[in-house]
Amino acid sequence: MSQPPAIRVADLSVWYGAQRALTGITLDVPAGQVLALIGASGCGKSTVLRALNRMIDRVPNVRWQGSAMVGDTDVLGPAVDVVALRRRVGMVFQQPNPFPFSVFDNVAYGPRLHGIKHPARLRKTVEDSLKQAALWDEVRGKLRRPARALSGGQQQRLCIARALAVKPQVLLMDEPTAALDPLSTAKIEELVRELKGRYTMVVVTHNLQQAARISDWTAFLEAGRLIESGQTGTIFTTPRDARTENYITGRYE
Amino acid sequence: MTAHSRRLRTDRRQQVLLGAAAGLYAAVGLGVLLMLLVSSGPLLLRVGVWQALLGVHWNPLAGQFGLVPFMSGTLLVTALAILLALPLAMALAVVGARVLRGTGPSLMTRGLTVLAAVPSVIYGWWGLTTVVPVVRRWSGGPGFSLASAGIVLALMILPTLAVLFQDALTRVPPTWQEGSLALGATDDQTLVRLIWPAARANLFRAMLVAVARALGETMAVQMVIGGQTIWQLNLLRPGATLTTQILTDLAVFPPGTAGYRALAVMALLLMAGMYMLVRISERWERTP
Repeated sequence: MSQPPAIRVADLSVWYGAQRALTGITLDVPAGQVLALIGASGCGKSTVLRALNRMIDRVPNVRWQGSAMVGDTDVLGPAVDVVALRRRVGMVFQQPNPFPFSVFDNVAYGPRLHGIKHPARLRKTVEDSLKQAALWDEVRGKLRRPARALSGGQQQRLCIARALAVKPQVLLMDEPTAALDPLSTAKIEELVRELKGRYTMVVVTHNLQQAARISDWTAFLEAGRLIESGQTGTIFTTPRDARTENYITGRYE
Repeated sequence: MTAHSRRLRTDRRQQVLLGAAAGLYAAVGLGVLLMLLVSSGPLLLRVGVWQALLGVHWNPLAGQFGLVPFMSGTLLVTALAILLALPLAMALAVVGARVLRGTGPSLMTRGLTVLAAVPSVIYGWWGLTTVVPVVRRWSGGPGFSLASAGIVLALMILPTLAVLFQDALTRVPPTWQEGSLALGATDDQTLVRLIWPAARANLFRAMLVAVARALGETMAVQMVIGGQTIWQLNLLRPGATLTTQILTDLAVFPPGTAGYRALAVMALLLMAGMYMLVRISERWERTP
């Protein structure tokens, strides 16, 4: 597998209509490492995430300034092929959102989109993706069952497998464990640690312990501005900014 | 008497009242069925069920009660109407559910609902003044034809079908669509590979509603079909359907005559067809 790309966001501002969602965000994620985005609801974490795979395009009247390099491509540039970009930059959502198909057809959805028809190749891709997402042992022999019969945690790992099946280089996760119980959460966290190195990852989370456990880098956002970012260990032990300290010690209002 | 027991009595009275209303409705429905069975029974016993259903000649005064011309007319007109309306309704639904933004979809739904509520005689009128002359010029025949009936019917069921299709498409959760787009699917691919399959049970049931409406429509069809009782399959020639023939001949045959009994058989056939549609639709509800 090729080396995953580094991500460099430079001076990114985003507006939804007249409302400013992000102001001058600058962030770096080295290749193959994990960045956790933390901050209160509505601070712009999800907007950063959705800028990286251009899902923000779906919001009417959205505008932006600045750049976001994934490898050598500015994903916010005017000439970017959004469809090709989203193959490189996969996404996992807050609510597990398996399609109303079988387990197999869920994982095969992406590869089929991109023209893979050969049954043996599809099968191999599906199996590899499910193994990478640590779901294979639980669903082998049940690939024809409806995906929505799986448990919530299994559904979320299925969604990760579905994202991996198109062979992305970057994985974006938008509060991937917000809807899950602690055991399922632990499995997803373990999975993130396993996938580290093969994919560059950005994870939005409200769970600070989770950020500390899974990420190499942490960025704290408040009201659309980046307050502080750095190595996770540093942010959680010796934050420079008082607002960061207040947030991570629970004195945030 | 305590407030509580008063309330209990009111409750009981309401139950009796509502139960009686429901019972009355069921009784009327069963009464219609019974009436049709009693009316048709003697004829069916005399000429035999298959004789009646499979005969191709309709001449009650001469003792011929073949219903094939009308069954064939009903099926052809309905099939043509569905065939014409289906792609147009889907196109409208896709525009309403996936293309228009802001107030567009609700405006479109409102417009379609108004069109769906237009009385069928007005659609028939339009057929008479527009469709029939066009078919006449095009085919050289009389213009009154199975094709004219199918076209008028298609336009009539189009708004209903489009609204139901649009509803079925918008019921597919946005989170699924985001999932598809995030995998690098285009909007078109998302429609074809995710939204249609995900909505297929609702789409199919919408189609059954349209089929039922087409099967039962009488007035608009009667105005343009020509009322020909000789069996033929040329869409550009006149024909008749079960419903239009009931309308025509109810005025001709008094109760008790053999012709009247044959009309009751037609009505039973229609009810059987509707019942089958309901059963099929139920089956689809259970397997999403």
